Amino acid sequence: MSDIEVMLDENAPIIPIIDGAAPPKVRVRKRGRVTKWLAISWLVFITVSAIGAESLPYINHSCDQFDSDAECVTGTKANIRYSERPPAWAGFSDSPQKTEPARYGLMGTDKNGFDLFARSMLGARTSLIIAGLAITFGLAIGTFLGMIAGYFRGWVDVVIENLTNVLLSFPALLLAIFFVTFFNDPTTSAATTRPLWPVIVSLVILSIPPLTRLVRANTIAYAQRDFVVAARSLGAKGSRILFKEILPNIVPTLMSFALTGLALLIVAEGALAFLGLSVEAPTPTWGAMISFGTSALREGSWWISLMPAFMLFLTVLSINLLGDVLAQRFNTREAIS
Amino acid sequence: MRYVLRRFAQTIFVVVLVTLLTSVALRFLPGGTDVLVALKTGPGATPEQAQQVVKDLGLDKPWYTQYFSWMSNFLSGDWGTTFQSNQPITTAVKRALPISAYLMVYGQLLALSTAIPVAVWSAYRQNSRFDRVSTTSAFAMLSLPNYIVAPVLMYFLSVQRKWIPFPSIYTSLFDDPVAHFKAFVLPSVTIAIPLFAGYMRLLRADMIGTLQSEFITTARAKGVSTANILFRHALRPSMFSLVTSAAVNVGALMGGVVIVEQFFILNGMGRLTVESIFRREYPTVQYAVVVLALIYVGVNLIADMAYAWIDPRVRARRALS
Repeated sequence: MSDIEVMLDENAPIIPIIDGAAPPKVRVRKRGRVTKWLAISWLVFITVSAIGAESLPYINHSCDQFDSDAECVTGTKANIRYSERPPAWAGFSDSPQKTEPARYGLMGTDKNGFDLFARSMLGARTSLIIAGLAITFGLAIGTFLGMIAGYFRGWVDVVIENLTNVLLSFPALLLAIFFVTFFNDPTTSAATTRPLWPVIVSLVILSIPPLTRLVRANTIAYAQRDFVVAARSLGAKGSRILFKEILPNIVPTLMSFALTGLALLIVAEGALAFLGLSVEAPTPTWGAMISFGTSALREGSWWISLMPAFMLFLTVLSINLLGDVLAQRFNTREAIS
Repeated sequence: MRYVLRRFAQTIFVVVLVTLLTSVALRFLPGGTDVLVALKTGPGATPEQAQQVVKDLGLDKPWYTQYFSWMSNFLSGDWGTTFQSNQPITTAVKRALPISAYLMVYGQLLALSTAIPVAVWSAYRQNSRFDRVSTTSAFAMLSLPNYIVAPVLMYFLSVQRKWIPFPSIYTSLFDDPVAHFKAFVLPSVTIAIPLFAGYMRLLRADMIGTLQSEFITTARAKGVSTANILFRHALRPSMFSLVTSAAVNVGALMGGVVIVEQFFILNGMGRLTVESIFRREYPTVQYAVVVLALIYVGVNLIADMAYAWIDPRVRARRALS
């Protein structure tokens, strides 16, 4: 490797582009305090709603069309009476059925008559669980590999580095699709529900290479610092140096990676769901809802796909904002270079 | 020269590893032969029939034999045919490649041609209103995956106002330019939006750094005009990360825009690969992956050469090493 490559490696970590979201870059100006709190409150709101989707009062407001509340949430039977109603605030929309455009709820209803707001909250649950678990495992494995590669160097580094390069040379989405197909048994998954874990495992694998790279660069930066050299000269073992000396120092950086990664993985999960490769139908996810609504979108019922799209956008934006705030707080850029 | 040779060896190594991994991984796809047999003979195949299919396709041999026979076929230019329709694979790839290439080129051109001026002006007038608006909107664009942008664009431009026909029908640029651009405008804009945001932020950050260096002050003291300073003195040394990122994206865009291709119903490389994975068309997947990998490493090689063109200091350092 020539020196210019090494320099680029450590200054500008390259994350594969997963259709839309991108890695954090330098932020010079400090972002306003208001936006930060807006982002936090949106995330708190969406998390609470996702956890309590069955019981929260504002979610069940379309359940009177079902026989029981449980049916409303699981969505086994649909009532066509409320099919494709625009949201209550949409004054400018034509009703697709030429009848009186009865508006319904905060976000309208979809083809099956489900309240889109309630569905979006259930979708938030799936998306957040998948992305959250995936980034947790991905970060754990990526940190471990990156620290080993960055601290011990030598052949371990060469092996890990080359594996990361190979994985990164595939388009990320193709890789994800491949792994999801790989872990899904076609004989069982076709008709009934698909389990959550193939998606999670695929996303974990997807998130490991870029995280490993970033952690490796960070570890290299700390491995030469005086306190590490001091610990080594006192006879500390490699594992002790890694976990007691280096790890605490890169934790702040890891936090902002974790947030950016979470946003990227929510986007990636949405992409898989959009292609019909995430969890199967009765469980709503944002991507699947957007994809489900596109046929109605062509007939003019915009809310069915654009409302969940808006929820996904707000969530990803909030997470990115927080990641940005953290990166500024801990001065991540300085730590890397 | 030695540098070029070493890079070349690395490139070959990566391509071989990628194809080997694909080859091995494909063989381990669950239900692989079952899916193939079902597609080939229809439902209810007898075990003998199934075995015959597997044998015909050469899937009964161990994976390394399969890989080597594939490799030698590939090198001798015999790309083989698809399992199901016995069409030559080259036809499929030849049909898909131009679509992906158009998408990639238009997306990149659109993104770069907007991002560079915006970034340069933002960096020059840092913290001005223009800068604040453009950085904030770029930040928001980063949170817009293309399965959100595509429906929004489609709704407003093809459904509400019927400006652009919705399922993009691919026509060659040379047959009917108007129809061609109508087919590609929405997908290209969809692709360009996140790219624009990424490029703009990268270039702006680097540019701010460059504008503080001393040769810029010197140029200004000599009385060089602002436009001249920005575009001729400052832009070139600020382009490192931009070039790297643009190069990485070329590879990513050639095969990784499955969603855009799917949504606008354009049969590019991404869709070809994914459909082939679903139908267990191992040879097609493998060739698609080789083509993508070659493009990826090739473009990275070019980007590496471009560093030397951008900044003479790199050339000097390489000559020393």
